[in-house]
Amino acid sequence: MRRRNRNPEVMAISEHELTVMTMDLEQIHNDVGMPAMHSAIEEWTDRIKTSRRGFLIGAGAVAGGAILAACSSGSSSSTTTTGAGTTKSAKLTGDLAVAALATSLENLAVAAYGDVLTAAGAGKLGTVPPAVATFVTTVKSQHTQHAAAWNSAIVAAGHSAVTTPDAALVPTVKSDFAKVTDVSGAAMLALTLEDIAAATYQSAISAVKATSSVKVAASIQPVEMQHAAILHFVLGQYPVPLAFSTTTNARPLTDYTN
Amino acid sequence: MRGILKRGARSPEEDVVDVDPGAMGSLLEESQDIHHDAMRSTATALDELVETGHEARAHGEIDPDASRDVAARRSALFTGAVFGGGLLAAAGVVGALETLFASPAFAASATDVQILQTAASIEVLAVGTYKTALTLPFIGGASANAVVKAFATTTMQQHQQHLDAFNAAITGLGGKTQSSADPVLQKVVAAAVPGLTSPGPVVALALELEQGAAETYVADTAALSDATAKKLTASIMGVEAQHVSVLLAVQALLNANAPQLITLSTTNVANLPAAAGSVGFPDAFYPTSQARPASEGAVS
Repeated sequence: MRRRNRNPEVMAISEHELTVMTMDLEQIHNDVGMPAMHSAIEEWTDRIKTSRRGFLIGAGAVAGGAILAACSSGSSSSTTTTGAGTTKSAKLTGDLAVAALATSLENLAVAAYGDVLTAAGAGKLGTVPPAVATFVTTVKSQHTQHAAAWNSAIVAAGHSAVTTPDAALVPTVKSDFAKVTDVSGAAMLALTLEDIAAATYQSAISAVKATSSVKVAASIQPVEMQHAAILHFVLGQYPVPLAFSTTTNARPLTDYTN
Repeated sequence: MRGILKRGARSPEEDVVDVDPGAMGSLLEESQDIHHDAMRSTATALDELVETGHEARAHGEIDPDASRDVAARRSALFTGAVFGGGLLAAAGVVGALETLFASPAFAASATDVQILQTAASIEVLAVGTYKTALTLPFIGGASANAVVKAFATTTMQQHQQHLDAFNAAITGLGGKTQSSADPVLQKVVAAAVPGLTSPGPVVALALELEQGAAETYVADTAALSDATAKKLTASIMGVEAQHVSVLLAVQALLNANAPQLITLSTTNVANLPAAAGSVGFPDAFYPTSQARPASEGAVS
């Protein structure tokens, strides 16, 4: 993609005003969004720490299948919490398994956007519009924050942080990314990942047991949807194609194996 | 899907974008096809909800007054307290939640009805606001930006579908459908209408409504007891958030005096300023500070 001729004066004003606006929005985000998320995560981790039944935490193997099915059968472990300072090696079940899946999807997104930045820097995607560069950088940062939020709860439950990407999707993403030669191709791949993430979170809302888990998933799903809307716009597509979002592309718990 | 909208030769003063009507029609048609597929799964969810409602009603009638207090408490729990600043910290969040969910099933169901009625009241207002906006020449008339006009038209239709879905859910739970606008937000809209003399104020008003809707539904998703009502609301909250994204981007381009960049084409992105790449999603985690109280739009 190459830049069109444009009026430098108009765009200089646009750059400045939009930058100021973005800074204002970032401030609002730091004032409102992050404290809210921290409260939800703290509530969740407190619940984990105080749960004597350990109903969020289990050591049994995940049965597989859709998130809902796996969760409904995987939250009855008798394993108890040993404290946040102890790292467990057992597989995660229940809400924590969902958290692990979500984290692995976030890690995958972070890695994919990182690959896009690397490829762009190497000139492999042709001319990269400034707005696309900003988009990729900002979205990568937000996915990093999502992963950190989920991991904070996982670690608080005494387990190791999830640092790997969704293993089931990695081969496909790698294969698809190898074929990407321009910004549109990268945007298409990113849109697929955002759709999957949004669908998985939407599915998770019905799958998790703790209200605090619902809150975390519910606060992230709309953000992934927003990423998708902007990607539609980048691709020249109508940005809000559906009146109701679906769970069709949701990933199953079996994607994450500890 | 390239070249849906094309920029014609124009003077710098002109902001009108030439549109390929056939291409735009195809775009919207394709979007409608996808939407209808999504509607099928939503309809299935609503069927489940109706079944649930039948079972709930078998245990007694819903008492709106009895549930109003529960709705208010839940609203505080899921917006002001949990997301807003830990008002429940001293009392113990877990204990409060356990007490709340120990309420009789009929009260929980009635509270869900109130939450859904408030959601419906927001949708009523959204439909009415976009309908009014489309009567303005610079939104729905000949001088309107084609993308803005298409967005207003499609978004109004999507809100009507949300309204229908929420009302179907209310019926399924044995409640009264809501056909009136949220009374508090309606005053905001009424106060804003005289100032809708250009696209900027219209976009700002729509943005306020969409943000309020999205935040309300994010909070509702955690507050609702009924599984299917929860699913329905979860399937709508992200769509409202997408409306917010579009409006933020449009607002930014209007404020930057670059309305000619509000177009749909694969080449337009090359012309956008760098900051346009992030203006549409300011929060990594969707806030709920502007969520409407759960019983604000409940049917009396």
